[in-house]
Amino acid sequence: MPSQRQQRPKDGPSEYQTIAAQYARAKRLKEIEDANKKLLGAEADEKRSGAAETQRAAFEARRKRGYERRFGWTLGFWVWMTCIHVVGIVLFTGGFLLTRLVLDEKSECSVPPIAPLAAWDGQGSMEGGCWHPKTFDKAVVVLIDALRYDFTVPVEDLAQAETAVRSPENAVLLPFIADPPTSTLQRLKGLTTGTLPTLNDLGSSFGGTAIEEDNLLMQLNSLGKRIVHLGDDTWTSLFPGYFEANISKPYDSFNVWDLHTVDNGVLEHIFPLMQKENQTQWDVLIGHFLGVDHAGHRYGPNHAAMTAKLQQMNTFVQDLVKTIDDDTVLIVMGDHGMDSKGDHGGESDDEVEAALWMYSKRPVFGRTKPEYVTPPATAKERPVNQIDLVPTLALLLGLPIPFNNLGRPIEEAFAGIKDIAWDNLAAVSRLASAGIRRYQASYFAARGIEQIAKPGSPAELWESATESATKNTSVKARELVYRAYTAYQEETLRICKDLWARFDVPKMALGIAVMALGVLVLLVYVSRDEDDDFAVLDDAELDFAEKSLELQDADGQTELPSYQTLSKSLVKAAAIGSTIGAGLGAGYVSTVAEEQDWTIAAAITALTSSLAVTISLLGLGKSLTNLLPNTIWGWLGVIFTVSQSIGFASNSYTIWEDSISLFFLSTFGFVSMIAALRLPARTDRILGIYHSVVFILLGRLASFSKLCREEQMPYCTSTYYASANSSTSAPWQLALPFVVFAGIPSIIKGYLLSSRSYEGLAPFWIDWVFRGALGLAATYWTLDAAGNGQWLADYLSETALKTIQVAIAQGVLALAFVAGTTAFVWAPPCIKVLTRAGSGGRTAQVTILGYGNANGARYLLLVVNMAAACMLLSKPMGSGALALMVWQVLSLVEVLDLNSLSAESIGPVVLALLGEFYYFKTGHQAVLSSIQWDSAFIPLFALRYPWSPLVVMLNTFAGQVLACVAVPLLALWKTSPRRKGGLETVARCLGVFVAYYAVESLATMAWAGHLRRHLMLFRVFNPRFMMGAAVLLVVDLVGMLVALAGVRANALAVSEVFGWAD
Amino acid sequence: MSAPSGKTATAGSGQKTASPDDGTLCRAMPTLPSPLAQAIRHVHPVLLLSLFYLRFGALVRDPVPTLLHSLLAVAALQIAYAVICLPAAGSSAAVQPAKKLRPGEKRKPVADAHAPNITSTVVVALGLSMFATFGLQIFFVLFGAPLLTHIPQTTLCSLHLSLLGLFPLFYTHGISTSDWLEILGARAPFDEAFGGLVGGCVGAWAGAVPIPLDWDREWQKWPITILCGVYGGYVVGKFIGGTLAYGKKFGA
Repeated sequence: MPSQRQQRPKDGPSEYQTIAAQYARAKRLKEIEDANKKLLGAEADEKRSGAAETQRAAFEARRKRGYERRFGWTLGFWVWMTCIHVVGIVLFTGGFLLTRLVLDEKSECSVPPIAPLAAWDGQGSMEGGCWHPKTFDKAVVVLIDALRYDFTVPVEDLAQAETAVRSPENAVLLPFIADPPTSTLQRLKGLTTGTLPTLNDLGSSFGGTAIEEDNLLMQLNSLGKRIVHLGDDTWTSLFPGYFEANISKPYDSFNVWDLHTVDNGVLEHIFPLMQKENQTQWDVLIGHFLGVDHAGHRYGPNHAAMTAKLQQMNTFVQDLVKTIDDDTVLIVMGDHGMDSKGDHGGESDDEVEAALWMYSKRPVFGRTKPEYVTPPATAKERPVNQIDLVPTLALLLGLPIPFNNLGRPIEEAFAGIKDIAWDNLAAVSRLASAGIRRYQASYFAARGIEQIAKPGSPAELWESATESATKNTSVKARELVYRAYTAYQEETLRICKDLWARFDVPKMALGIAVMALGVLVLLVYVSRDEDDDFAVLDDAELDFAEKSLELQDADGQTELPSYQTLSKSLVKAAAIGSTIGAGLGAGYVSTVAEEQDWTIAAAITALTSSLAVTISLLGLGKSLTNLLPNTIWGWLGVIFTVSQSIGFASNSYTIWEDSISLFFLSTFGFVSMIAALRLPARTDRILGIYHSVVFILLGRLASFSKLCREEQMPYCTSTYYASANSSTSAPWQLALPFVVFAGIPSIIKGYLLSSRSYEGLAPFWIDWVFRGALGLAATYWTLDAAGNGQWLADYLSETALKTIQVAIAQGVLALAFVAGTTAFVWAPPCIKVLTRAGSGGRTAQVTILGYGNANGARYLLLVVNMAAACMLLSKPMGSGALALMVWQVLSLVEVLDLNSLSAESIGPVVLALLGEFYYFKTGHQAVLSSIQWDSAFIPLFALRYPWSPLVVMLNTFAGQVLACVAVPLLALWKTSPRRKGGLETVARCLGVFVAYYAVESLATMAWAGHLRRHLMLFRVFNPRFMMGAAVLLVVDLVGMLVALAGVRANALAVSEVFGWAD
Repeated sequence: MSAPSGKTATAGSGQKTASPDDGTLCRAMPTLPSPLAQAIRHVHPVLLLSLFYLRFGALVRDPVPTLLHSLLAVAALQIAYAVICLPAAGSSAAVQPAKKLRPGEKRKPVADAHAPNITSTVVVALGLSMFATFGLQIFFVLFGAPLLTHIPQTTLCSLHLSLLGLFPLFYTHGISTSDWLEILGARAPFDEAFGGLVGGCVGAWAGAVPIPLDWDREWQKWPITILCGVYGGYVVGKFIGGTLAYGKKFGA
C-alpha cells in the first residue's frame, strides 16, 4: 500500500462542478455495479483469477498504445499551431520588413560602366574627373533635418529661394522627394548610396549599423579626399572612421527636447573651417542641423519656435554663401519633411517633400526651359528624388557614381548656362543609366532572378536608348538620347520602388489576422469545461471500479472521455480545414490573383484551418465564456498579459519592460502570500508564505543583473559586464558560477527531499553530474577571463587555452544533452520501495518513498539538464541569474501546489513572465545590438552550421527556453503515478504558456504595424516585434521537441513501474 | 509532504469548511453612531485630500521635507478620525455590535469596566504603525523601488501608507492575532479601515504605472505617483469599504 498518498483534486471546482462530478461518479459506479451483477453468476472465480493476469497485461499494452496515440495527436495539434504561427509571422514580416540584398561591389574611378561618349583631359583620374569632367573641387553639404519644401517658399521668405530667383545661374531650388520611411538614418543611407531604403538591408553583418554598400563618402575616402563632419552623430555610426578626426564634431542626436545644442555646435565650428587658411584641411564639409526637426517634434511646424529656428537657418545660409569660393559647390537640403504635428517617418506628402538648394559662386546651373527659372511654387512641380543627388554630386566632383545608385543626374546641374548642353546631359544620363543597369544585373544575379524583357520593360527601354545614342550624334539630337535614357531610369526606379520601398499593408493585416485567429484557437483550447475538471479528479474508488469494468468489458468498447479525444478531433478538423483552404488558396493564387504570391495561399489555408478548429472546439463543449476568469488568479493572469500587451503601444513601457516584469512577478508573489495566509493548516500557511517570500526575494535579487539599453539612460546602470563599455565580466562576477556550483544542486536537492523524492537517479545526477557540469562551466568562465586578462600568458599559449576551453564547453554540453537525454529516458522514477514485515508477520507492508511526486521529481531531471547547458552558454552574471530562475521555478511550483492552483492559468502565465524576465537578466534587451554573438564561440573554434546559430539562440533565449522546458513541472509536480490525463494537463499548461507569448507577439506585431510612422519604429517597436516573433517560434519548437517529448519519456518510465493511468 | 489531510478536508467540502479561527471571526467595525463621528467620517477624506492637494507643489519640488513636515498633520488627522469615529480595540463597540436603541431609551453612559484607555490605544497603534513601516518599505523595494538610493523617500512614503492604511486597523483591532491573520489574508469583512488599507495598497500598486513614461514631468519622480495612488486609493477604498462593500468579504 502506498504511503505518502495524496488524495485531492488539483483545483477547487466550483459548487456546480462538484455536484456534476459527483453525479457523474455515482452514475458510473451504478453502471459498474449493474455489470458486476450480470456477470457474477456466470463466471467462476478460479477461471477469472488465471485469465485476469494475462488480461491485465493486455490492458496495460492497450493503455500504452492509447497513450502513444494521444501523444501523437497532441503533437500533431502543436505542429499545426506552430505552422499557424509561422504563417502569421511570415505574412506580416513579408509586408513589414521588406528586405533588400546589400551588394559588396564598389565602383572604381578608372572603370566606368560604359565607355564615355567624348574624351577629356585627365579622364579616369580625380584630377580631371573619373567618369565625366568634373565641375567642382570641393563641396559643402548642409543638411537641415526636416527642412520641408514649403519652408523655403514663398520666395520672399528665405535666402535660398531669393538667390535662386535673382541669379538662376548661381543657384537652383528644387523640391527634394524622400523615399519613405522618412527617418534620418534611412534617409542618410539613401542620400549617400543612392539606393532605396528598406527596413532590413540584408548585409554581411546583421548587427552593425555602419553602411557597407558603396557610397559617396566611401568613394571620397578611397580617392584620398578628406571629409569633415559637424552635427548629428548618426553620421559617425553610419560612417565610422571616415571623418577627419580632430576637426569633426559629432553631437548626440537623441534628445528631441533640445533645440539648440547641435545647431550651435555646428555654427560654432563651421565658420572657422570656411576661412582661407583652414580651407586646405578638408575637401568635403558636412554640417547636419537638427534644430528644425526637434522644433517640429516638440512644437510642430506652426509654432513661433519653428519660425525663429528657420530664421536662424536663413541667416546662417546667407553668411555661409559669403564664404564659398569659386571651386566649391554648396548644397543645402532637408532629409525629409514633417507632418502637421511635426513628426515624420511615414510616407505622407508633407513628410517626403524636402527642399534642395544648390549654390555656386561661379555660374553653373542651367535650365532646359525658360520658365523653369522660377523655383517651383509647390513641391508637386519638377520634383527631384533624393537619390538623384548621389550621381549629381558624384559627377560634379568627378567621383565615380556609387555602385548601388538608382538616382539620375539632376538636369539643372548639367544643362549648361548659355545654350542647353544636350550632349552633356545625354552623356551624364547615359553614364548613370549604365551604372544602374550594371547594378541591376548583379542584383538579379545575386538574388537568382531572371530579368524580363517584354515591351515597356527596362531591358527594352535600354535597347532603344542605346540605339538612339548611336543614331543621334548632333548636340540638338542628343535631346532624344537624353530622354530615352531618362525613360529607362524612371522605369527602373519605379520597379525597384515597387519591390522594396513600401509597407504592404494588406499583407500585414493578413498576418495579424492569422495570428489573432491562432491566439483565439489557443485560448479556446485551454479553456476548461466540466469534463476536464472531472478528468483530473484523483479518486481511488472510482479508479478501481473503472478498472474492473474494463476487465469485464473485454472488447474495449467503452467510450473514451472527451479530453482524450480532443487533440484527435482538432487535428482532423485542422487537416480538413487546411485541405479546403489549400485548394481555395491555390486556386485563387493561380487563377484570380494578379501576382503569384504563394504566401497568400498559405494565409488562406491557415485561416480556414483555424476556423475549422475553432468550430470543432466549440462543438466539443469548449466555449468562449469559459475563458472569462472567475477567480482572482484568473484575473491576475489576464491583467499581466493584457496590460503588458497594451503597454507595447508605448515606447516607454517597451523600453522598461524588464522593470515591469519584476513588478508583475512581485505582484504574483505578494498575492500568493496573502493567499497562503488563508490556508487552513498552519504548516501549509508557513510553507506558503515561505515559498512566496523566496519567490519575491529571488526575483528582486536577480533584478540587480542589468544590461541597460541606450534609451534607459541615465536612469539605469549596467551591471552585466565589468563596465558600460566592455563586454567582459568583472573579476568578482567570476565567483558567481562557483557559488552556483556549490549552491544550486543542494537547493534542488532540498526541494526533492521535501517530497522524499531524492531517490533513484536523482542523488547521483544532481549531486555529481549536474554539479560537475556546473563546476566545469565555472572553470570555463575563469579560463575565459584568464584569456581576456592575459593572466596565464606566461604558462599557456592562447591557442592552448582556447583548446582547453572548447574541450570543457563541449564536455558540459555533451553531459547536458547527450548523457542527459540518455539518462532521462532511461532513469527509473525517483522513488524508493521499503518493505517491512507487517504487524501480523504474514503480510508485508510496502512503503513507497516519493510516490506523491513520482511524475514531477523525475521530470525535474530534464529541467536540470537544460539549465546546465544554458548556464554554460551565459556569461557569469547570466549563470547566476539562471540559477536564481531555477530556484524561483521550484518555489513557484510549490506555491501553486500549496494553493491548489495547478489547473489555473496563472501558473503558466507567471512562468512565461519569468522566462521573459530572465531574458533581460541574462544581459539582453529587445534590441539587436544586445545579441551576444561571441557566445557562438564558446563550444566552437569557428562558425559552424547549424551549431553556431543554435548556441546563440540558446544564449539569447535561455530564459524563455528554460521556462518552456519547466512548463510540465506545473502540471506534474507533486502528482502521483495514478494521476490521469497528465498529458492533457501538460498540453493545456503549454497552451496557456504559448498563448502568453502568442499574445505578446500579436500585440507587438499589431503595434509595430499601426505605429509604422512612429519616430521610434526602428529603435523600439520593430526590434520588439522581431524579438516577440522569434521567441514565439522558439517556444513552439522547444515546447514540442523538449517539453512534450520529455513528458512522454517520463510517462513511459513511470508507468513501467506503476502501470498506466490513462 | 505538507499536511495533506487538512487540504483534503477543505477541497472536498468547499465553502462549508470553517476557518481554523472559527468563533473569533473578525467583524466589520462600524463607525460610531454619534453625529459628530458621522460628520467627521465624511469630513476626514476631504481634509486629507485638500492637504495633499495643497502640499502637492511643494511635494514635487522637495519631496523629503514636505513628506516629513506633513506627517504631523496626517497623523493628527488620522488620530482624530480614529478617536472620534472608530471603536478602539477592546471597547464594547469593538467587541459586540452596537445595539439598536429602542425609541425613548437613553444610551447608558458607557461604564465599561474593560473600557480601553483611548490614549494608550492611540500610542500603541501609532507605535505599531511606525514598526509596520519597515515591512511596507521592504515591500516597496521588492516591487522594484531603489534599494540603496532614495531611502528617505521610500521610508516616508511607507510611513504615510502605514498611517493611512494600518493605523486605523491597529486602533480598532489591536494586536489580535486571529484578526490580523484575517486582515492580512484579505478575508476580513470590509469596513472603513480595511477598505482604506486595500484601497491604499491597490493605489500604491497602480501609482507605479506612470513612472516609466517618457513625459519628463517633475511629478514622475519617486515616490510622488505612488503617494498620489496611496491617497486616492485610500479615500476611495475607505468610502467603498464603509458603504457599498460594508461587511462583504473577498471571494465570497
